[in-house]
Amino acid sequence: MSPVTVATVFIIDDDSSMRRAIHDLVESVGLRARSFGSGEEFLAVKQIVRPSCLVLDVRLPQISGLDFQRKLGEKGLKIPIIFVTGHGDVPMSVRALKSGAVEFLTKPFRDQDLLDAIQQAIERDRIAQEDQANIQDLQARYRGLTLREHEVMTLVVSGLLNKQIASEIGASEATVKIHRGNVMRKMQAGSIVDLVRMSDKLKLVPPKE
Amino acid sequence: MANEDVQKTLADLSRELQESKARLEEAQRVAHVGHWEWDLETDVVVWSDETYRIFGLSPQERPMDLATVRSMVHPDDREPLYRAVDQDLIAGERPSAEFRIIRPSGEVRTVSSMTSERWSSSGDTKRDASGRPYKLFGTIQDITERKRSEEALREVSRKLQESNAMLEEAQRISNVGHYSWNLIENQVVWSDEVYRIYGLDSRQDTIDLAKVSEMIHPEDRELVFHAAEEALRTGNPADIEHRLVRPNGEVRTIHSVGTVKRDASGRPCEMFGTAQDITDRKRFEEVLKRNQFYLSEGQRIAHTGSWAFNDSGHYWSDELFKIYGLDPHNGAPTVEQYLALIHPEDQASMAETIRRMQEEKCGFDQLERIIRPDGQLRYVRAVAVPDIERGVFKGFIGTTMDVTEQELLTQELRRDQAYLAEAQGLTHIGSWATNFHTKQIFHISDETFRLHGFDPKHGSIPLERFFDRIHHEDRSGVTETLENAIRAGTDYEIREFRVVLPDGSIRFLRTIGHHEPSGGTGYYVGITMDITERKQAEQEREKLRQLEANLAHTNRVNMMGELAAALAHEIRQPIAASITSANACLRWLARNPPDLERARAAAARIEQDGNRAADVISRLRSFYKKGVAPEREDVDIKEVVQEMTALFRREAVQHSIKIYSELGEDTPDVLADRVQLQQVFMNLMLNAIEAMKDSGGKLTISSRLTSEGQVMVSIKDTGVGLTPENAEWIFDAFHTTKPQGTGMGLAITRSIVEGHGGRVWATTNLEGGATFHFTLPTGPEADT
Repeated sequence: MSPVTVATVFIIDDDSSMRRAIHDLVESVGLRARSFGSGEEFLAVKQIVRPSCLVLDVRLPQISGLDFQRKLGEKGLKIPIIFVTGHGDVPMSVRALKSGAVEFLTKPFRDQDLLDAIQQAIERDRIAQEDQANIQDLQARYRGLTLREHEVMTLVVSGLLNKQIASEIGASEATVKIHRGNVMRKMQAGSIVDLVRMSDKLKLVPPKE
Repeated sequence: MANEDVQKTLADLSRELQESKARLEEAQRVAHVGHWEWDLETDVVVWSDETYRIFGLSPQERPMDLATVRSMVHPDDREPLYRAVDQDLIAGERPSAEFRIIRPSGEVRTVSSMTSERWSSSGDTKRDASGRPYKLFGTIQDITERKRSEEALREVSRKLQESNAMLEEAQRISNVGHYSWNLIENQVVWSDEVYRIYGLDSRQDTIDLAKVSEMIHPEDRELVFHAAEEALRTGNPADIEHRLVRPNGEVRTIHSVGTVKRDASGRPCEMFGTAQDITDRKRFEEVLKRNQFYLSEGQRIAHTGSWAFNDSGHYWSDELFKIYGLDPHNGAPTVEQYLALIHPEDQASMAETIRRMQEEKCGFDQLERIIRPDGQLRYVRAVAVPDIERGVFKGFIGTTMDVTEQELLTQELRRDQAYLAEAQGLTHIGSWATNFHTKQIFHISDETFRLHGFDPKHGSIPLERFFDRIHHEDRSGVTETLENAIRAGTDYEIREFRVVLPDGSIRFLRTIGHHEPSGGTGYYVGITMDITERKQAEQEREKLRQLEANLAHTNRVNMMGELAAALAHEIRQPIAASITSANACLRWLARNPPDLERARAAAARIEQDGNRAADVISRLRSFYKKGVAPEREDVDIKEVVQEMTALFRREAVQHSIKIYSELGEDTPDVLADRVQLQQVFMNLMLNAIEAMKDSGGKLTISSRLTSEGQVMVSIKDTGVGLTPENAEWIFDAFHTTKPQGTGMGLAITRSIVEGHGGRVWATTNLEGGATFHFTLPTGPEADT
């Protein structure tokens, strides 16, 4: 496991007292906080450190929180969002949650509720970061396979026996065994099940009939 | 010697005899007289040469006997001739007779035969023993020519008598008489007709020159004698017209002609002439002349020409030429020339009409346009009728009338009527003229028909049916008003009555009748108008007034609700912030060691937010203050503006609207109901924001003290602005320019401002947008 880094909570609220209160609360539990009066100010930030999450007021001066959420998605910025609102209604919260929001809180909210949501969001972001790292690792290993080995791996994970694979690629069963061994080793797979899971992550598609 | 002498003498005698005989023959031939001898015993007949000729035979071509002679006598004369001869002979008289003979050529001649006294050529009367002659001698003469002359003479004489009688008759009929004036004896002879002409009786009255002179009209006497003298002097016939005075005083006009006859020496001996009574003719002539004048004058005045088309030609009256702009000297036009005058659009139909007229011998009555040779367009009405005399078709006669002026007037009238009908249709006012007494309708406009639910196309409708349409509850009232007006001969007005239309719907009408005494009792001219819409509008207005009152209340309630929602948000914000700050504060304190610095900062924020919430609540409470009567107190405008700016801040930011306040430091307090004043600001600021919602902009609230000592507040936006008509109506209830507006906001604003003794109005900004202004009285001295 990589060392635990201090997560950052971004806060966007146009009401300064509310903004400052949330900022203070976040810092009181030892998290890093950065607050902004508008979405634009937030977007101006060069590097969004990870893991992190966003506490977003639904009613922003220029743009609604929901629209801002969509805008972030379009920019490829997949940061977990916790919505807070002065007068939220059910349809709005449903929409927000469907679009991937972690939580939808109505002001005034219990501090623990906000902090739990922040915790959950940061965890989710951390896993997402790790997954992202894993996939990059797997992709690197996969790129290390030869063309023949790619072929064999695809056929193995689709559940074919060595004999079948041999006839499929026009090689001897012994040759298939060697390729298979290479695949398992290069991909650092402990078992066939492991290899199948990796193939899932890599989104390998079995060749069509 | 004696013998010689005798012989000689005998020869001489014989020659003499021969000569004598020849002379006789010659004489007989010249005189057409022959002689004959008839032996009564032998019936042998001896003829002279001329006798043979008379009978159409050659002299002595054959011997004659009685039977031959008889056969040559005209059969009709044969028996009478011989019977007469026998009788004469028996009576011992010499027979003589005229009879006709037929020549062998068939020619009939008349002859006269006479028996000589000598009875025979030998000079002896040959008689038989009983004394009866047995031989006759006589002459025969061809009297055919003489007979004919006699006959002709008789005929002439008869004819003369006849013609005399006819002359008398003719003179009587034609009122022409003749006279002769013997210049030598100075005597005058008149025919009967002249007597009659002079009013005299030819059987009783006598005339002479003096009397004639006396009877001539005194004014014409000189004329008559002068003419006579002139005729005598020059020899030319006298020909004059003069008047005469009959014994009974009647004046007649005479046409008199006289010629002078001269004797062998050249001296005038007689004046012969005729006199004709032309009084009647004169009168007819005058009447005819007058009639012709009237006719042509009438045609001229009536712009009517007449024409005739028959065997004797094609006649056009002068006026007709004038109508068509043609020269009468060129004569009546041909059909082709005529058609060329017709307006091109009417030519085909006119050609067809003429064709039909000629083919079917039928008349026509047609309005046509013509274009005169000078290019002028005229309307003419042409009428033709076949001329049928005792069942025989003679041709056509007709009239043509220039109706241009009438036609143009008619067209104008028609246009005016169309405009009037249009106007009546638009205003739902119908006109009429009727005599209620006689129930006679003189005029009903289409709209009047429609107002009563009748279709104008269905034509006239009895007056009663209009009354039938009146609602039964109103009928007696209408009738009573009408009857009273008719009785009093006054105008009337029925301000409102109902009619029931065929579909059962009700229409409200109002009618005004003006009595026109010239039309007799009960004659009224009037209008009827549809007041249904006005009625409905009145009802509608009443409903609206009610609604307005209701809405004013609702608006106030709604406004409170909105205000509450807005304020709730305002309160929730500081409370949520203070709760969060309190949580943070607790967490700072719970730290080991507690971070007192951060905790204090959090606590300070809590206080701040708490105060902010309290402010909002206190403002909210002021909105909910109850009280029917407005509570007037000194209100600081600046304070209210600040509150309202705070209230709309979020809304304004959301629509990119910046709110500025430019409140004069000198702005005094106003005496007002605080809540109502807030309402005024709220309405005006909401309007301003609404106007800039899509574009963003600037909202400026300014205040100043006017010269009248009032506070004037202006709320200026940079939005869509006002149209001139909106500027006029915006303060009216229910006038709205917004899709979801109630149209009440500004109306309430005005009632509040005016209730405070102020005024509210709107102006358009030069740079765009609108500014709403209102004034309020200041301080304690302000008038309530």
